Amino acid sequence: MELTILHLYPDCMSLYGEYANVMVLRRHLEATGVSVTVETALFEDTPDFERAGFIYMGAGAERTQKAALAALLPHKEAFQAAVDRGAVVLFTGNAMEALGASVTDAAGKVWPALGLADFTTVETDKRTPEDVVAHTALWESAAVGFMNKCSTTKGVNAPLFDRLSLGFGNEDEKGPEGYVSGNVFATHLTGPILVKNPDFTDLLIRRLFAAKGWELPEKLPVLPYEREAYEVTLKELTGRAGG
Amino acid sequence: MRLVLAVIVCKILRFIGGLLGRGSSLPGQFALKVCPDVLGRVKLPENVIAVTGSNGKTSTVEMIAAILNASGKKVVYNKEGSNQIEGVTTLILSNCSLGGRMRGDVLLLESDERYARHTFRWFHPTHFVITNLYRDQLTRNGHPEWVYDAIKPAVFPETTLVLNADDPLVSCFARDHDPAKVKWFGLDECSVSTKEHHGVYHDGARCPVCKARMEYSCYHYAHIGHYACPSCGHRRHGTDFTVTALDLKEGTLTINGETGLSLAFKSIYNVYNILAAWSVCALAGADRETMAGVINNYMLKNGRMVTFTLGKHRGTLLTSKHENSVAYDTNLAYIAATDRPCTVLVIVDAISRKYFTGETSWLWDIDFDRLSAPHIQKVMLYGRYCNDLAVRFKYSHVPADKIEVGESIATAAEYLKDNGDEDLFVITCFSDRDKLLAHVERNG
Repeated sequence: MELTILHLYPDCMSLYGEYANVMVLRRHLEATGVSVTVETALFEDTPDFERAGFIYMGAGAERTQKAALAALLPHKEAFQAAVDRGAVVLFTGNAMEALGASVTDAAGKVWPALGLADFTTVETDKRTPEDVVAHTALWESAAVGFMNKCSTTKGVNAPLFDRLSLGFGNEDEKGPEGYVSGNVFATHLTGPILVKNPDFTDLLIRRLFAAKGWELPEKLPVLPYEREAYEVTLKELTGRAGG
Repeated sequence: MRLVLAVIVCKILRFIGGLLGRGSSLPGQFALKVCPDVLGRVKLPENVIAVTGSNGKTSTVEMIAAILNASGKKVVYNKEGSNQIEGVTTLILSNCSLGGRMRGDVLLLESDERYARHTFRWFHPTHFVITNLYRDQLTRNGHPEWVYDAIKPAVFPETTLVLNADDPLVSCFARDHDPAKVKWFGLDECSVSTKEHHGVYHDGARCPVCKARMEYSCYHYAHIGHYACPSCGHRRHGTDFTVTALDLKEGTLTINGETGLSLAFKSIYNVYNILAAWSVCALAGADRETMAGVINNYMLKNGRMVTFTLGKHRGTLLTSKHENSVAYDTNLAYIAATDRPCTVLVIVDAISRKYFTGETSWLWDIDFDRLSAPHIQKVMLYGRYCNDLAVRFKYSHVPADKIEVGESIATAAEYLKDNGDEDLFVITCFSDRDKLLAHVERNG
C-alpha cells in the first residue's frame, strides 16, 4: 500500500503550524501499514496532481493567499481531475476559499478562485480569532480548534460542520462552517486540526483506503496522547461555551 | 478650557489611583471623555520617540531612557507598559502644566502594534523605531502582515523611521517614505550568521512585496538576515547604524567598526535591542561615549529570568511568552548552549493570563529539536496541556525515553525536590510561572 501526499505551498501557506496536519496524517497512515511519500509544490512548480492520493493546503496571509490562487489557477484542470478520481483533499484556513468561485479582498478587488464550488468569499478589515467547537454528521465526536479569519463565505450548499457551539461559521456566529463534497474537505479551522481531532484523521484514512480499494483494518491505530489532548481541549472549550 | 479640565481630571484620578494602587489607563480614559482631542492640544517636547515591534519593545525603551537620561535629557516614558491610547494620555497629562505644556525634553513611548494608529492620530512621533515583526500572539494579532497593515496608518511623512534593515517586512515601511527620513540599523554578516535558515517555519521564504522566492546571503536568526528579492528588487538596505563584529560567547560587539561594547545578556535579541536604542539615541543627539558608558554598565532588569533552589537542583526559570515561538526558541537556544547535565521542565497550564483560549497550534512553531542536545537528560512536560506538549514532542528529535508527562505541577515540583541534583531549567509563561515558583526557594 503506497500513497503520495501532495502538500501545496508549504513554505508560505502554513501560518499556524498547519504543516503538522501532513505529519500527523503520515504517521497515522504509516501506523496503518501504508508507505507514504510526501511531495511538495511551490508557486514556481507544476504540482503533480496525477500521483497524489491526498492533497493538502494550509492558511496564509491574505496577500500570500492571492499569490497561491494565481499559482494554482493554471493547474485547475489537473486538480479537478484528481478530485474526480477520488483523491482526498483537505484545505484549511483561508485555503478553503480557493475552492470557491472567488475571493474579494478588503479593497474590493475580485480574485478568481478554482471554482470547484459556487461559494464566494469577501474579506474585511476585521479579524475573527475564536476558539471553535463544531458538530458534523460525518463523525461522532465534536471537533475542536481555532479559527483566525477576516472573511465571510456565502453560498456554501454543503457545510462540513452543520453547526458550531463555539466560533464563527461561514457567514455568522455559530452558523454552519466549512465545505464538504465527496472527498473534498475544507474548513476555516486553522492550525493542526488533524492533531487536535483524531476522529477527523480516522475519517480521512477511511476515505483514503476506500478510494484506493484497500481493505481497512478492523481498528485504526490510536497514537499516544492524542485522544487525551482532545478530551482536555473539548472539556475546556465546552466549559467555556456553557459559561 | 476643556484641556485644562482634562489635565486636572487626569491628575486627580492619577493621584487617587496612586493611593489605591490602581492601573494607569483609567485617568486617561476620563480625560479623553472630557476632551476627546486632548492629545492634539497639548504641547509636546521637541523629541517624541515611539518604539514598536513584536519583541523587545520594553527592553529597548528602558535602554533608550537610560541613555538619554545620562545625556542630561529629561525623559518621560510609559514605565508601566500601558501602551494604548488611554495609558499614553495618562502619561502625557500627568506630566503637563495646567496650560497643557508637557514637561521634559523627550517623550518616549512603547507603542502597541495594533493601537499605534489611534494614539498617533493626534500627534506624530518625531522618531518611530520598528524593531521586528514576527509571529506573536496570533490569537489576537492574526499574522505579521496583518500587524504591518495595522502599524502602517500610524506612519506619517514627517516622522523619521528607524528601521531594522535585516527584517524584510519591517523594511517595507520605507517603501513610500521620504528616504531622507529613514534611518537603518542592522548586523553585518558575523559569527552568529548562517547560510541556512533555522527554525520550524520561515516567514521570510517569500518576498513580502511580490511573493517571489526570497534569496538570503545569510541569516542572523529566524527570517532576520541579508535578503534580496530577485523578482522585484526588494532588498536589505545599507545601514546607518551597524553591528560590525559580534562575539556572543564572549559577550562583546562592535558598533560602526569603532565602539566596542559588552553585553549584560548574551543573546542576539539583546544585540538588536542595544542597536535599536543606540540608533535612535544617536539621532536624538546622544554622544558615543555616553551611550557606550550606559550600555557597558547596564544592569539588565531581566525579570524574565529567575534563579531558585528546588531540593538539590540549581534552578533557572526562563519566562517565555506562550503563543510566541521566537521567545520560546530564544530560551531553548540558551539551554542548548549550556553544557552541564540538566533537566528541562516545560509547563503549559493556562495559555494566556489575559484571555481564555484553548489554542495550542503555536506549539508546532517552536523548535523543540533544540532540546535533543545530549546534556539534556530529561524533559518534563507538565500542566493542563501536557498531552498537547507530549504529542508535539513525538514529532521532535528528543528521544522518547527522556520525556516524562504529567498534569500536576505540584507533583513535578515534589518529584524534583526529592530526586536528582542536576541543573534544572523551567520554561513557561507569566500566566503559569507562579504555579512552579510557589514550590521553590528563590535566590536573591
